[in-house]
Amino acid sequence: MFAIFKREFKSYFTSLWGYVFLAAFLIIAAYIFIMLNISYAYGGMTPFFQQFITLVMFVLPILTMRLFAEDRKQKTDQLLFTSPVSSIGVAIGKFLSVFAVFLVGVAIMLLYPFSLSFYGDTPVAESMSAFVGFALFCGALLAIGMFMSSLTESQVIAAISTYAIIITTFVIPNFVLSNISNPLLSEIIGSISLLDHFNDFTIGVLNLESLIYYASFIVVFVFLTGITIERRRFS
Amino acid sequence: MIEILNLTKKYGVKKAVDNISFKVEKGEILGFLGPNGAGKTTTMNIITGYLSATEGTVKVDGHDVLEEPNEVKKRIGYLPEQPPLYMDMTVREYLNFIYNLKKVKLDRSKHLHEVASLVKIENVYNRRIGNLSKGYKQRVGLAQALVGNPEVLILDEPTVGLDPQQIIEIRNVIKDLGRDRTVILSSHILPEVSAICERIIIINNGKLVAAGNPEELSRTMGQSNKLQVRITGTKNEAERVLREIPGVRKISKLGEKEPKSYDFIVETLPNTDIRRAMFNAMAKNGMQIIMLKSLDLTLEDIFMKAVNGDLGEGESYLTEENTLSPTDSEVGTSIEAESEDASALENDPDNKEEEGEN
Repeated sequence: MFAIFKREFKSYFTSLWGYVFLAAFLIIAAYIFIMLNISYAYGGMTPFFQQFITLVMFVLPILTMRLFAEDRKQKTDQLLFTSPVSSIGVAIGKFLSVFAVFLVGVAIMLLYPFSLSFYGDTPVAESMSAFVGFALFCGALLAIGMFMSSLTESQVIAAISTYAIIITTFVIPNFVLSNISNPLLSEIIGSISLLDHFNDFTIGVLNLESLIYYASFIVVFVFLTGITIERRRFS
Repeated sequence: MIEILNLTKKYGVKKAVDNISFKVEKGEILGFLGPNGAGKTTTMNIITGYLSATEGTVKVDGHDVLEEPNEVKKRIGYLPEQPPLYMDMTVREYLNFIYNLKKVKLDRSKHLHEVASLVKIENVYNRRIGNLSKGYKQRVGLAQALVGNPEVLILDEPTVGLDPQQIIEIRNVIKDLGRDRTVILSSHILPEVSAICERIIIINNGKLVAAGNPEELSRTMGQSNKLQVRITGTKNEAERVLREIPGVRKISKLGEKEPKSYDFIVETLPNTDIRRAMFNAMAKNGMQIIMLKSLDLTLEDIFMKAVNGDLGEGESYLTEENTLSPTDSEVGTSIEAESEDASALENDPDNKEEEGEN
């Protein structure tokens, strides 16, 4: 598992993918930071994350689309699945590797709010809370992306289907929900809205329910990925 | 060491592997032969745990691949048809990754160095795999299978795509490896199998059609009770004398190959040696045998026969009417030239005959 994590993590930086991701990630972050924090001279990071999150979700599939799709194409999956490592172990190793690459981007991005703290008081606690929420939210999207990648041999299909799912989780709660009067139905549909739970974090609340919500999202999709690759043996 | 029992793999309704059973003993090199699409790769993928069987069991060293996959995988080094290489890594990084992946306990640098020198990739050790030639990629793939010193090696067409020199080198490596390991080697290149393997299994359309060592196969395929004989004298006289020899079942005429002599294929009853009787009979009638040889099957013949012949499962090869007749360019003159399969094989008996003459 650790071997897989290490290899995957490294491969993002021996190929272009890691750099493409970091460039896109940091350029978007810089743009929003300038528009919201610099131009309004505002020290809090909450509006930044609220804006950033709606754009970053289009960058994350760059990381996940190749995870399993490339292995299948290069036949290196034969190596992984004939090694003494369980399918779940492979899935966990791969998930941790994309999450780590993502965290590299976040670490660089944290320089932005840090630079603000030299010029005045900044709401550090609130910013950190928003940051934790942001990381978990993106973790959930990465887990979904990895799962989609495990379903197909084509990176393009993996990326597009991930976009489709992400957009669905945004569009349905925001546009469909307002037209549903049945409270139970709206509760169920509302629960797939990844973004709703993020709002707690942005007001500085580390809500246990939201933490568990995102964590369980990650666990479920990593687990599903393991099942998918295990199941392929029986096809 | 490896025990395969009633293995079946279905893809939809199609049976890629159909009720195959065989055993591989410790330290044996087994050749796994079959035409493309016969089910070789599928079988190997099942043994290594990459695919699961629809029915049947695979046991390696007593461990069932379904129940204790990790115990089995630990014992197997697998080189798939397409070597599973990461093109963006150097050979060194790759082998280190494999070392970690397989959780090998041996001394790292010493072991990896040994593996690299065994397949002769030390000179490319720090190069990126993506930049290596096909032959080197294949060797790195083989090195990968060797990491951790597995007791069992499963090699799927290890020499495919290599140049003749590389093929010979890889073959020698495999032969060396086979001294203290159990090896299953698949191939559709027959000389390769006969050069390396002690025992051969032939599968076709997912079914096991023949098994045994090359000599055994040759014998059970029933060809060795045929003799090719060249006799001086007139054709009819020679044939008449041959017919009178007890134990002769069938005579085919091959025509005049050498001036004033005639060639015949004499088929005898099973387990009958007529050579002395034939010699005496000819001598008594004033004719000379100037060439006599038994027609053993080459691996090619066995393979073609097993694959093309209508050998069903469980049928005895001994009773099978032999359809392989040594014919040559003069086939038109041979009166009883039999069989449609013969044309595919005519070159080989022909060559052997030339050797006999020299």
